[in-house]
Amino acid sequence: MFVQILFGLSALLTVGCAIALAATKNIMHSCVFLLGTLLGVAGLYATLGADFVATAQIMVYVGGVVILMLFAVMLTGGKDFVSKAQNLLGLAPTMGNKWTYSLAGLVSLVFILTNVKLISSIVKTAPAKTFTNEMPSTVSQLGHLLIKDHVLAFELSSVLLLGALIGAAIIARPKKNQ
Amino acid sequence: MVSLSSYLIISMILFVTGITVMIGRKSLVAILLGVELVMNAAALNFVAYSRYMTDNLDGHVFSLFIIVIAAAEAAVGLAIVIRFFQIKETIHVDEATQLRN
Repeated sequence: MFVQILFGLSALLTVGCAIALAATKNIMHSCVFLLGTLLGVAGLYATLGADFVATAQIMVYVGGVVILMLFAVMLTGGKDFVSKAQNLLGLAPTMGNKWTYSLAGLVSLVFILTNVKLISSIVKTAPAKTFTNEMPSTVSQLGHLLIKDHVLAFELSSVLLLGALIGAAIIARPKKNQ
Repeated sequence: MVSLSSYLIISMILFVTGITVMIGRKSLVAILLGVELVMNAAALNFVAYSRYMTDNLDGHVFSLFIIVIAAAEAAVGLAIVIRFFQIKETIHVDEATQLRN
């Protein structure tokens, strides 16, 4: 019963905040809605029994990535902006006008139809797995998996993080005085 | 019990919203927000399939790696956005024309 209630609340938070993120014009509000979406996804992980992934989601995304996004928004001016650029035909800017939105709608429609087709066949043919209702902790199993089966990817991801952070610091370094 | 398809539907809504934000918005930061949504949709699918289809936890491991990669991508992407703002004084996508032609 608790799982169903948590699932309903998390699904509502996730979907509502995602749609509000896409609908609002203010980029600062979009960042705050992203926070709600990520919290909702963490709740969905919790309903799936993925305790460690839910915790990592809250710590890395909600505590790190969203704050980084907010810093970037504030450093680059969060207010509305206009572009002076024009494309070849002298029309309005190419992003964010009605043509790009209709392209996005078409892509979404195709994706939804494809997914409905795929999901319906999978759900029909897959045998329903029986599992117990209590959810044991996954931390020790995940630790064993990470240092046995997936140790190469684990080490590579640490190197990737180090390289990405050094690269970010180099790219965003202050301008030299010329 | 919550079924697998409800998780898949939520993940699909997240993915479609992310694609819409990536295509439709004008700001570079908003495009990065869309990428985060798409990555979350994929990670949610991994965990849902790991719970309903298998007995092992490989899907959780994949989700953890997705979270790591998203953090790295956000750091580098926002650094590029800040650098772009230093050069162009704006973060509008249509101003990024230096590599055109």
